[in-house]
Amino acid sequence: MRKARGLVGAALVVVSATVIGQAPQIPPAPTGQAPAIDLSGYWSPVLHEDFMERGPGSEIADYGGFPLNEAGRLWALSYDPSRVTLRHHQCEAYVTPYQMRALGNFRIWEERDLHTQRLLAIHLWAQTTEGHRVIWMDGREHPPAWAPHTFRGFSTGQFSGNALVVRTTHMKSGALRRGNGVPQSDQATLTEFFVRHSDHLTNVTVVSDPVFLSEPMVRSNDYYRQPVDPGAWLYACDDGEQILDRPEDAVPHYLFGKQPYVREFGARYKIPLAAGLLGGVTMYPELNARLRTTTEADGSALLSPAAGRASETSKTVDGEVRDGNIHIMPIRDNVYMLVGDGGNIVVQTGDQGAFVVDTGEGKLSDKVLAAIRTLTSNPIQFIANTSVHREHTGGNEALGAAGQDPSLPGSFFVQAAPRGVTGFFSDPSSHATMMAHVNVQVRMQAAGAPAAAVPADTYLEDRRRKFHNGDAIEFFYQPNAVTDGDSLIHFRRADVIVAGDIFTTTQYPVIDIKNGGSIQGEIRALNEILKTTVYRHQGEGGTYIVPGHGYLADEHEVLEYRDMVVIVRDRVKAMIDAGATLQQVKTARVTADYDTQYGANTGPWTTEMFVEAVYSSLKGGR
Amino acid sequence: MKNSHWLVTILVAVAAAYLLGAQAEAQRGGPPAPISPRAGAPVDITGQWVSLITEDWRYRQFTPPKGDYGSLPLLPPARKIADSWDPARDEAAGEQCKAYGAAGLLRLPTRLRINWNDEATLKLETDAGTQTRLFQFGSTRANAGGTPGGDWQGVSTAAWDYPQAAFAARGGGRAPGGSLKVVTVKMRPGYLRRNGIPYSANAVLTEYFDRFDVPGGDALLVVTAEVVDSEYLATPYWTSQQFKRESDASRWQPTPCTAR
Repeated sequence: MRKARGLVGAALVVVSATVIGQAPQIPPAPTGQAPAIDLSGYWSPVLHEDFMERGPGSEIADYGGFPLNEAGRLWALSYDPSRVTLRHHQCEAYVTPYQMRALGNFRIWEERDLHTQRLLAIHLWAQTTEGHRVIWMDGREHPPAWAPHTFRGFSTGQFSGNALVVRTTHMKSGALRRGNGVPQSDQATLTEFFVRHSDHLTNVTVVSDPVFLSEPMVRSNDYYRQPVDPGAWLYACDDGEQILDRPEDAVPHYLFGKQPYVREFGARYKIPLAAGLLGGVTMYPELNARLRTTTEADGSALLSPAAGRASETSKTVDGEVRDGNIHIMPIRDNVYMLVGDGGNIVVQTGDQGAFVVDTGEGKLSDKVLAAIRTLTSNPIQFIANTSVHREHTGGNEALGAAGQDPSLPGSFFVQAAPRGVTGFFSDPSSHATMMAHVNVQVRMQAAGAPAAAVPADTYLEDRRRKFHNGDAIEFFYQPNAVTDGDSLIHFRRADVIVAGDIFTTTQYPVIDIKNGGSIQGEIRALNEILKTTVYRHQGEGGTYIVPGHGYLADEHEVLEYRDMVVIVRDRVKAMIDAGATLQQVKTARVTADYDTQYGANTGPWTTEMFVEAVYSSLKGGR
Repeated sequence: MKNSHWLVTILVAVAAAYLLGAQAEAQRGGPPAPISPRAGAPVDITGQWVSLITEDWRYRQFTPPKGDYGSLPLLPPARKIADSWDPARDEAAGEQCKAYGAAGLLRLPTRLRINWNDEATLKLETDAGTQTRLFQFGSTRANAGGTPGGDWQGVSTAAWDYPQAAFAARGGGRAPGGSLKVVTVKMRPGYLRRNGIPYSANAVLTEYFDRFDVPGGDALLVVTAEVVDSEYLATPYWTSQQFKRESDASRWQPTPCTAR
């Protein structure tokens, strides 16, 4: 009865509106916007544009029509397509701007709330790479800067006029053009417009990338509607050994100016070398006028970094959170990442006391403790340090003093141990136990750190292990990486690796030569991470990596970072082998394609300091 | 029993409302006078726009070599013509504008100026080749039947296009916003690409002009085009071209057609 009255009431609202000749005034829904167009169904791409790129693959140095800045151009020129023979690159999915151009069919469907029928999300499934996109339509916010990135990114949409407008952030780095190295960085954002004309769907992509593009890149993709399910929705991929006995630290690439095939494209089509290398101007009608005043020498000059120019600096969103607050990022199971106090902090909770990896800079330790207390009522039992650096040990004293190790009181170990060695074991009920490689202890003591801040429970060789809160926790010593005391700490069940400053998403690795760091050790350590990770699907997900600084990552980010470190090392080594001085190496701008991502000309770790460290490490045979 | 009673009541109420609405409309003197296409435009595409040549770049920024017709669904007769392309012959015949016909024009690197010629006609000009297209709102039959065509730009009929249900006249079913739809016929045979890829006099070009405003950024004009030509194309030829709005009128650089 009540239901029937409701129906009549609704009918009367419509009736009155019709009588006075006006559309019913329905306030806009704050969430779950009603669709202006229906995209549901099966769609096949039309390949009448850029078939070469989307089918067989792009040609080397065919970068025309892309507004690449210097970093983007040099990144592409350094790229060797055989890089995809490396195990970890083999199954990588496409980033969304390219995914929308890929071969293979698409399926689009709506997700609606069962009870209200409001539109919650629009899903797209791409056959190629099994790309599953979710476009949230319920008004939710985008994740914070420290959240993980995926190849598809995080998308939200709304209808505007006759179009669906979609904004995507948090994409991984990838190929803006397939096959010839035109890059897209993990800082790229994407705006899309979907518009439908009968059975013709057009998708317009606008990519903004402060790292590699000088202006937005606009392309459009066309699809025709398939009346029946075309099938074939899967895209199986497993990686494997493609080239045997290749050294672990080999990454296929070309030195600046040494790409051997760079002139083939122009020669084949009678196009000047510079035509594909000029970046933004190549998109516009002015290109031909520009080429009339461009010489072959001008084109050749574009194959290497511009000489005499200061290094570019990072154009990325600042991965360091500096708002004076501690933010908690759940990772998996009972493992969390805390950001906001310098280096990232990891907390594992459970029936036993909290297990904390790294303690930040120590400026916000009270807030760190408050954050941990929201995760567990148990005290901090263990603290582990990945390295000696202040951003990871700065909070040791404060966090240690707030903890306790109930496994020690009354034990033979405490009763038999000589007291006062480190000051720790004398009263474990008033202090967490701190663990690290022994070199962390040695370096901190040498630097005069207070005893209450120095890890006392140390290990000497390659591995330390502990079972805590239902998880196996392993420490793997990484000799002479950032320092001579670095550990990778792996929560095996949660499958989370805490990398410390061996890996960051925000800066070049801090090769601390004075504290025993080396470029070769850094590369070895990055490869150790990659030997341990397992991706969940198409090169992403699976093992999570907590960087020393920056956003929560997986193996893809470590892989790209490893590639960068190897490539820079190779450039510096080639110059050393040719007799170059440090000054000549600096002038050559050997990091020019990475500076807009990681570069700094001020602060505690500059591009120049990194290049110096690589140079002196190699000169010292390490 | 009670449920059927309420169902009848609802149906009666809805029917009464429909009749009352129709009666009220009749008392007001029938449907309102039609507004002009210009006044009723759901989207403003006027202004100056510049090509963004980000796809098929090599084919569009340069004249491809003879016989280079990748991506195109050509039938054998079209390949035969393309393989015999001779720009000198086109120049000698005064046909250097063959690549500037409607079916290929917006693929060229160019600027567009779109303005209302009158209340029912949009004018699109290009600085590349100094071409002019007129989009006449009205029925296709009236426009095509009354105009000889046969020139590079043919006869174009325009309409505002809205996504709507098949039985939209029964009310509802129309989304906000809209596109400009242009159907062009009676074109003088020309080239889809500069290197002699032909389309015939019977080709039909259907285009949708959509404007998208990038939040905090540019205004984009995207022209989605379909060329149907049973003489030369195995399937419809679909492309979409993007343009960026420009405020700097000084960039308008009229240049004559070139066959090379």
